[in-house]
Amino acid sequence: MVEQPDRVEPDVDGAWFEVACQEFVELVTDYLEGALPPPVERAVATHLALCDPCVRYLDQIRRTTAALGTLPAPTLAPAVRAELLDVFDRLHPRPGDGRAGSP
Amino acid sequence: MRDRPEQEGAAPTAVLAAAEPGGSAAQVEVLARLGNGDRAAFAEIVDAWSPVMLRVALLYVSTQATAEEVVQETWLAVIRSLGRFEGRSSLKTWVFRILENRSRTRGRQEARTVPWSSAFPSDDGETGAEPTVDPRRFRGTDDAYPCHWTPDGMPVAWQPPPEDAVMAAEVRRQLRAALDELPVRQRTVVELRDVHGLTSEEVCERLGISPANQRILLHRGRARLRAGLDEVYRGRSREGSTGG
Ligand SMILES: [Zn+2]
Repeated sequence: MVEQPDRVEPDVDGAWFEVACQEFVELVTDYLEGALPPPVERAVATHLALCDPCVRYLDQIRRTTAALGTLPAPTLAPAVRAELLDVFDRLHPRPGDGRAGSP
Repeated sequence: MRDRPEQEGAAPTAVLAAAEPGGSAAQVEVLARLGNGDRAAFAEIVDAWSPVMLRVALLYVSTQATAEEVVQETWLAVIRSLGRFEGRSSLKTWVFRILENRSRTRGRQEARTVPWSSAFPSDDGETGAEPTVDPRRFRGTDDAYPCHWTPDGMPVAWQPPPEDAVMAAEVRRQLRAALDELPVRQRTVVELRDVHGLTSEEVCERLGISPANQRILLHRGRARLRAGLDEVYRGRSREGSTGG
């Protein structure tokens, strides 16, 4: 049996244990989602304080996520949108406003 | 009595208010604005939600054209029944409930399977057993630094960063292609979360999956997309350098 000093399991609350880089990359999403149990979250934070490559990995996941947010997504055709707004105007006229008031 | 001080300014707050819980002050205000014919507020909400509504409709129907019809029908139903909406839930929850009911009905009429409904959890490694980063990038368990990055395996700097104008187009092209290659459950979760900006709770509700499953699918999908971008950057640095 190979001894693994990086994998001391926490047996009581707040027990000390460490994560290695290979474990960190599998915890990164739970870390970002705030879904890790507190002792594991502390261990991840400790690891990040000491490991620049993992900080870079975390940063790259964040940048990937941010770049996904810039992808163009299909939306309604302009004509359909305009028609919806016209129906809205007809069924929900502004109070005391017979016609479209502003230009 | 003037109780609509900034109505004409149409601050871009309608979308946020429309996601607030039923009965909240923000919701009461946005419903009043819509009921009083605030076209700008309605347009703001239509513009913000239509892309994600099209994506959600595609969980049930098989073509973009049908999805567009369903979304259009949904907005018409919203406009017509706005006066009867009692505000027990958020406006957003209500609109998406109408959308899902109509999408489900259309999907049944079509009687064609859509990718989401035909995908099995096991297709996407939802058990989470396989590593998301190539194990060869890490040192062995008998190394002095077990399971830490190897010198060649560790992440390289992304220069210029993906958000830089020089890279943005290539990054988007790569992400779009990599998304389309993801297993369907991973792709769906990543698109709803990261492309369309739904919360994890909203994704779980839309897809009927547990928070833990949602995180596993998101994790595996994002890791693959990061790896794809990393390949682009490693390729660039190989081309850029003279030696190896
Ligand atoms: Zn590390």
